[in-house]
Amino acid sequence: MEIDQNNIFKLCKELGCCDACCLRYLGLKNPSAYENTKDVVTKYAVQETAIKSSDLEDSKDSKTLEDIKKNILEDINIESDINGDSCKSPPSKKRKIEPCVTCLGILQEETWADSFEMVKEVLEKKRYACNTFACALSAPMATILRERVVALHLEKSISHYDANALTPLKEAWKWSFGTKLATHIGKILDSGAVSPLLITLNIDYLDDLQELEALKTIAATLFESRSQQRKRFSTEFTRRVVEQALEDVTLEMIQAASESCCLPQITAPAKCVSVVCTHTPMYLGGRYIKLSRELPQTPWILGGRRVMPSSVQEIIFQPLAEFYGMSAAEAERRLKLVAAGREDVDVRCLGDGRPFAIEITDPQRQLTSEELAQACKVISSGGEVIVKELVPIVKEDLALLKKGEESKTKTYHALCIKLSHSELDEVDPDSPVTVTDADLERINSYRNTKEGDEAKIEITQKTPIRVLHRRPLLTRTRHLIELHAEKVPGHAQLLYVRVRTSAGTYVKEWAHGELRRTRPALPDLLRARTDLLALDVAAVHLHWPNAHFPTQ
Amino acid sequence: MEYNILDSVDLTDVSNFKSFTDRYFSKRYILNVGGKENNDIMLMFHSNRITLLSLAPSHFFFKKNCDYKINFNVHNIDRLSNTVKGKGKKGGQMLNPKSVICKIEYDDGANFDVPCGMKGTLIEINEELIKDPQLLKSEPDSTGFIAIILSSIAISDSMKNELLTHEEYLKSLKL
Repeated sequence: MEIDQNNIFKLCKELGCCDACCLRYLGLKNPSAYENTKDVVTKYAVQETAIKSSDLEDSKDSKTLEDIKKNILEDINIESDINGDSCKSPPSKKRKIEPCVTCLGILQEETWADSFEMVKEVLEKKRYACNTFACALSAPMATILRERVVALHLEKSISHYDANALTPLKEAWKWSFGTKLATHIGKILDSGAVSPLLITLNIDYLDDLQELEALKTIAATLFESRSQQRKRFSTEFTRRVVEQALEDVTLEMIQAASESCCLPQITAPAKCVSVVCTHTPMYLGGRYIKLSRELPQTPWILGGRRVMPSSVQEIIFQPLAEFYGMSAAEAERRLKLVAAGREDVDVRCLGDGRPFAIEITDPQRQLTSEELAQACKVISSGGEVIVKELVPIVKEDLALLKKGEESKTKTYHALCIKLSHSELDEVDPDSPVTVTDADLERINSYRNTKEGDEAKIEITQKTPIRVLHRRPLLTRTRHLIELHAEKVPGHAQLLYVRVRTSAGTYVKEWAHGELRRTRPALPDLLRARTDLLALDVAAVHLHWPNAHFPTQ
Repeated sequence: MEYNILDSVDLTDVSNFKSFTDRYFSKRYILNVGGKENNDIMLMFHSNRITLLSLAPSHFFFKKNCDYKINFNVHNIDRLSNTVKGKGKKGGQMLNPKSVICKIEYDDGANFDVPCGMKGTLIEINEELIKDPQLLKSEPDSTGFIAIILSSIAISDSMKNELLTHEEYLKSLKL
């Protein structure tokens, strides 16, 4: 059966809906219809004239077509008034529109001028390069209630009316307000799934909470149980609970709860109170070389005081913050370093460096390749950190960094010292301790895995004492894939050790055995006491920031 | 090598190289525990409130030449069955200063208790001592440590302040 569209339109108008809301109740989902509602509604209004002229001649109803037309004319006059005003002046008193009974003015062009100005102001401050945008609306909760009341009226008066066909306020607002906003800010309106720039308008309505009071009568049990669990539900009304309260509501229930049938006189239209613009994060990838043994990866602060004056993070952030015009405090909030693991303060990271990414929150733009090259220059100029290249990457690439943290192998260079004679050697106990050829042979030929295994040595490590206070006590199995020792010319007691380990191996503890909590460790191989003098990460074996790196 | 590791460290003092425990722990001493002369223990405090229990070099244990066993089953508590779970080390045996960690039992029938000297949670017994009890005598301040104890920062700090420091300990031995 055909639903009487003209009747829907008529009833909506009688209840006090604006043109756009009439189209919403008609179920129109065609975006362009909302760009110029006045033209579209004439279709329904004109057809109506014929009916009205005969049918409603002597009707005492509040609204007639003449009224509507008058309203529109007034609106146009007001528009020209505003344009005549100086643009920053507060809304003039004479500007009186009839706020829509459902959207509270949100879909009425006459209320938009201030919103446009507010968006422009934020954009001028933030200066996004992005030429598209998506917009989001935070509407007063009273619109949910009012929307339902009008729908109930329609369902009651018009047979087969389907309230589910209602076009959501947010959609209609995007198509109407969003399209107009695009021309004001010179950007292209796109969907939130496509455009990285999101403009959110927070719209407040003075009587919002007061109007929702009626819900406490309509859904008394719901609100009683909520007030009993005040700890769980700290706010009385949320969008979710308003929708819940209206789930099975009838017009009779609403009429019983509210004298005005929940459509009280609107004293002032809803108003845009704030605009928030955010750009989705951007990411940079690179590798850092750390040349200092007194430089932590991230700021080291103990009891509110700095232990070390700087950090890898701060050195890398500094030029980027400058390009983005961020203060130091802002940089700390908006820049995030994600690295493939970390080395101890006193460990250098050499070779191709350690893979890392930087997440930039709410960036105005992507930095140019010239700027990125310049940033690398600035980072490296201090001599403590070297970054050779920074490249834009995408969020999905970060998974590789995290995965790499668990699966990658690392090669270390360790400078070790032999502190006692080997139990295996028969030597004069008073003779000086030296690294012997036999020692090197013991290390280089040692294997406790099957021939053909990728790893030469399997070790077990108890959680090191230095981190035991904050990690569980576990015995972990780790692997040494390569192990090679050499003498150090001119230092008889010292030896160079090159070791490639599986992820998560504590190399320092392996070098001294940590009171035999790591076994078999270097002292077990030599049957002598050994310790570590210095440690460098020589290579982090991970292709980053792209599959072609490192090239060799 | 581009950045030689040898050039990156100061090697002038290698002859005075500090041991692992000397580098990371502060040694404190409790003498004549339980009124027993030279029943001296050493607690090594890591800055992260982990503490190692050892016998002090002045303990009468080091003067006696007799074979011994280390018994970790004391007063019906089996220290070796201690387990801790998770970051919070839940389930570890609670210790107070008088708690006995182990008993040294000599072949001649004599024995003595090793108290833990502080309040805390038992994390780990040095299981190497079971395989190689000689470590207790040969490496008392390294691989021959007895147990790992975790206490609160408050207890760890106040113990460090109250107990004899290494210098004070050396002085007291000369008296």
